Amino acid sequence: MFALTVLYDPQCGLCHRAHEWLAEQSKLVELTFVPCASEEARKRFPQLNHDLTKQDLTVIGDHGAVYFGPKAWLMVLWALTRYRDWSYRLATPELLPTTKRVVSAISQNRYQIGRVAGLSSR
Amino acid sequence: MTIGISTYMVYLAISIALTIWVARTLHKNGRVFLVDVFHGNEALADSVNHLLVVGFYLINFGYVSLALKLGYVINNAQEGIEALSVKIGMVLIVLGGMHFFNLFVFSRMRRRSTARGHHPPVGPDTFTTVQQEA
Repeated sequence: MFALTVLYDPQCGLCHRAHEWLAEQSKLVELTFVPCASEEARKRFPQLNHDLTKQDLTVIGDHGAVYFGPKAWLMVLWALTRYRDWSYRLATPELLPTTKRVVSAISQNRYQIGRVAGLSSR
Repeated sequence: MTIGISTYMVYLAISIALTIWVARTLHKNGRVFLVDVFHGNEALADSVNHLLVVGFYLINFGYVSLALKLGYVINNAQEGIEALSVKIGMVLIVLGGMHFFNLFVFSRMRRRSTARGHHPPVGPDTFTTVQQEA
């Protein structure tokens, strides 16, 4: 696997800030950002359920492996030089349930968090 | 030479000799670790090794120098030896602490360089087709 496509929610301030932060990080795997359910996303992945990608972060490997929600977050961490170790740590059987809970909670409240933190989606 | 002055001299001689011995041990045996950490880049390993040893010398000689002052007068040889043993003991403990800290740094560097797994942390949820760009 040499590249990952990240389908993010362009309407969410938090995602926008995360995108900017990710752009600055040193990476072991190339990350391409595509707004979810956009024309480009549909063109790239014609058989994907695009309504589902609006609900949570989705990451797709260059061979078509789809990671959804908390797994997608772990894959993004795995792509970063500084955080690859953390992706393994958070994915251990002891920590994975907590990781999933925390990530889901952030994801479901992403608009509120973005608003409270004053992050703009543009 | 008074007993006080000779105590200081012996203290300095033993502390300096111990520091040099530990630093040389680290320098000699740490090299293998560092060459491995830097994937066989010997020039870089030697350079980092040297810098670590310089830091080690600075901290230890700094401590030895700061801990020299006794604060009371030594009247006989027995008191001199007791004072010396306390001071040398402290130097040994600081050296030991520094030594383990160095080992910790080495092993951490090594783990960081070898733990770079290539497999993803989690398995995929599903698969989809990817339209290759024209």
